[in-house]
Amino acid sequence: MSLIDGIGPEAAPRARPAVASVKDLRVHFRSKVGVVHAVDGVSFDIGDGETLGLVGETGCGKSVTARSFLDLVPMPPGIKAGGAIEFRPHHTCPSCDGAGCETCDDSGRQAEPCDSCNGGGCEGCGHTGQRTIDLLEISEKDLQTIRGNRIAMIFQDPGKALNPALPIGEQVAEVFFQHRADDLLADAGASDGTEALGGALIQRKAGLKTSRIEDFLLSLPPLRGQRTKLMAAVQTRVAEALAETQIPNPRKVMDRYPHELSGGMRQRVMIAQAIACDPDLLIADEPTTALDVTVQARILELIRDLQQRHRTSVLYISHDLSLVKEVCDRVAVMYAGRIVESAATSSIFTDPHHPYTQGLLAAIPSANHERGRLVAIPGNVPELIDPPAACRFAGRCPYEAPACTAHDPLATTITANHEVACFIHHAPAGDEERPTWDRKVR
Amino acid sequence: MQIRDYILRRLMVLPVLIIGVSIIVFALTRVGGSPIGVYLQTGMTQEEVTELEERFHLDDPLPVQYVYWAGGVLTGELGWSGVAAAPVTDVFLPKLAATMELAISSALVAVVLGVALGTFAGARRNRLPDHLTRVFSISGAAMPLFWFAILLLIVFWVYLGWFPIGRSDPNIYARIDHPTNLYTIDSLLAGDFGAFGDALWHLVLPAATLGYGATAIIARMMRSSLVEELQEDYVDAARAKGLPERLVLRRHARRNALIPTVTVIGLSFGFLLQGSVVAEIIFRWPGLGRWMADSVLRGDQATIMAYVLFTSVLFLVVNLAVDVIYAYLDRRVVLGE
Ligand SMILES: Nc1ncnc2c1ncn2[C@@H]1O[C@H](COP(=O)(O)OP(=O)(O)O)[C@@H](O)[C@H]1O
Ligand code: SF4
Ligand SMILES: [Mg+2]
Ligand SMILES: [Zn+2]
Ligand SMILES: [Zn+2]
Repeated sequence: MSLIDGIGPEAAPRARPAVASVKDLRVHFRSKVGVVHAVDGVSFDIGDGETLGLVGETGCGKSVTARSFLDLVPMPPGIKAGGAIEFRPHHTCPSCDGAGCETCDDSGRQAEPCDSCNGGGCEGCGHTGQRTIDLLEISEKDLQTIRGNRIAMIFQDPGKALNPALPIGEQVAEVFFQHRADDLLADAGASDGTEALGGALIQRKAGLKTSRIEDFLLSLPPLRGQRTKLMAAVQTRVAEALAETQIPNPRKVMDRYPHELSGGMRQRVMIAQAIACDPDLLIADEPTTALDVTVQARILELIRDLQQRHRTSVLYISHDLSLVKEVCDRVAVMYAGRIVESAATSSIFTDPHHPYTQGLLAAIPSANHERGRLVAIPGNVPELIDPPAACRFAGRCPYEAPACTAHDPLATTITANHEVACFIHHAPAGDEERPTWDRKVR
Repeated sequence: MQIRDYILRRLMVLPVLIIGVSIIVFALTRVGGSPIGVYLQTGMTQEEVTELEERFHLDDPLPVQYVYWAGGVLTGELGWSGVAAAPVTDVFLPKLAATMELAISSALVAVVLGVALGTFAGARRNRLPDHLTRVFSISGAAMPLFWFAILLLIVFWVYLGWFPIGRSDPNIYARIDHPTNLYTIDSLLAGDFGAFGDALWHLVLPAATLGYGATAIIARMMRSSLVEELQEDYVDAARAKGLPERLVLRRHARRNALIPTVTVIGLSFGFLLQGSVVAEIIFRWPGLGRWMADSVLRGDQATIMAYVLFTSVLFLVVNLAVDVIYAYLDRRVVLGE
């Protein structure tokens, strides 16, 4: 029995579409010396329930890519120069209630059906039958219902990403007020809007919509009881969320200010806040870079564990391939505003096909290298001001050939799920000499 | 340390500071010579002068004189005001009320308007509202107070006649009791809204004069610190949670932007007290400032000492309030260090 019209056993089996697809994303920055093409034609899919690693050197455009999902790139100086970020919201599979069954491919989740074709497949949803939202096109108001709710983000430095002037509990509570107001009212037993004025006020309070005067009214006896119940409901949820990330004594931590917690604890708070609404996609932008090495491992473990239990899709960003190896199912390697190679994690590590990926792997400290003898890739990342049509790795690449500076290499599928953008793997448009593995120039 | 303990500790240090300040005030005033002048009348003999000096302990060494003066301050004996031809104590409180009514209303307007303008401008950085606020702030900070006061006086009193000068209409003054000498409060206590309107009406020009500069400074500070806060990660994190821009501003950026602004607000209170001298003279406001100006011209030492001591203590208290508010807003402040 199919629960959604149009999707049944008889419907043609299609590959599970990605929870998010970045298509030819271009984000530029206006600067005094010209337009910086910080992200310049980036495409990748994040499969449902998958952890995708986005790796590359500092400044290659990882954060700009990540922030574009939630429209957090400052504009100006940023410019949306093109492309799309398609997002397909999911909900818990109704036939198994999240336990995992055949309908949902054991993921426990199911994409919401497309509004216009109701699952049949149409132009608007790219014939997936799934509700598809272009994050670059929707209004600020619609985006606000997605941020923190369907797509959540954690930042590099948890010390800066928490407001120093608000207690932890109040900051986490905001997510519930913003996205789960109805649940809070139900918890507090105030959802039926009992007294006209009090009901309306408490509903506004649950949505963080009250003005100072309304807050004052709510602190007075007739409404006070309801407010107290509402606050208790929120606190219970906040404590649960904090406990989810293994924060000891959540009730105590709620009253603390960010500066009173360690870096690892702060990042746990950020993660708790991010997964509070059980999002479809979690974007983690270098979540361990600002932390101690010992803490790093535990935060990684936590993300991995939460990802598996909640089956959340994760976009995991790092400049460190060895971290990505630990948590990611698939890896996309970014260089100077482009994706140069993407493949399953094991393929990337055992069988890299792009000269840059090979260079990055060689730079990972391992048992084979003596300590302190890092093999760094020589040369610098090019300036991305009005870049010419050429491979961006030319100038640093050991295999560079005339074709590399005359044309742009295109992403080419070399084996299933393994894409590389390099002229070693496909022919250039012109008849310039192609690079080969046999010919090393540096 | 808890904020409450912190306040208690600061309050305990306060008397020590006040004694220190009073010594400085006494010493600095005495550098200007003996205060006997105000008590002298034409045709007094040398003997009568000596007797006067003895009566006021002016023949004792300075430290002893200080003790007499300080004792007087504690018992409410502040000496004789030649300008007012009355004991300083009798005149001080009503005049203080007049000045406070002016200073507090200016400060209220300046804080509310300054913070609002600064927030409005900072949230709309480099757009028209920001530019307009900048013009407003720069002229407010650059315009000499007396010049702005005279400008207001000429336009709104002389030409347009929209606002009065002085402190109240004599008939209305006589109509109600004055238990607090704050006319706005007195009129409300008496339930006389006509008198309340009159009190407000008279406040407009001097309060605008005084408040403009402070508003300008506060708005400028608020604007720049808000612009800074809006670039912090926690603002993006708040947006990433799905909060609407209104709440990102209200609950996050503005709260932190207020921290440096509070210091400026405290400082601008000193600016208000200084400015009150000019505003009171130009708008015939019967407050401490005007009295003080007259006393300086006549070498009325008892009044000067009382005024300077009072403003210094007021400053200490405002300073304490600023520190407490600061600590309350910025929990990273290590209290008591
Ligand atoms: N706010 C900004 N203003 C101007 N340029 C920016 C801004 N943010 C990013 N960029 C440009 O985008 C490039 C990529 O930045 P980013 O995505 O932060 O790199 P990373 O891969 O280290 O996260 C930077 O090198 C810079 O040129
Ligand atoms: S296209 Fe040429 S320059 Fe670019 S990575 Fe391949 S071989 Fe190197
Ligand atoms: Mg980054
Ligand atoms: Zn299922
Ligand atoms: Zn459709």
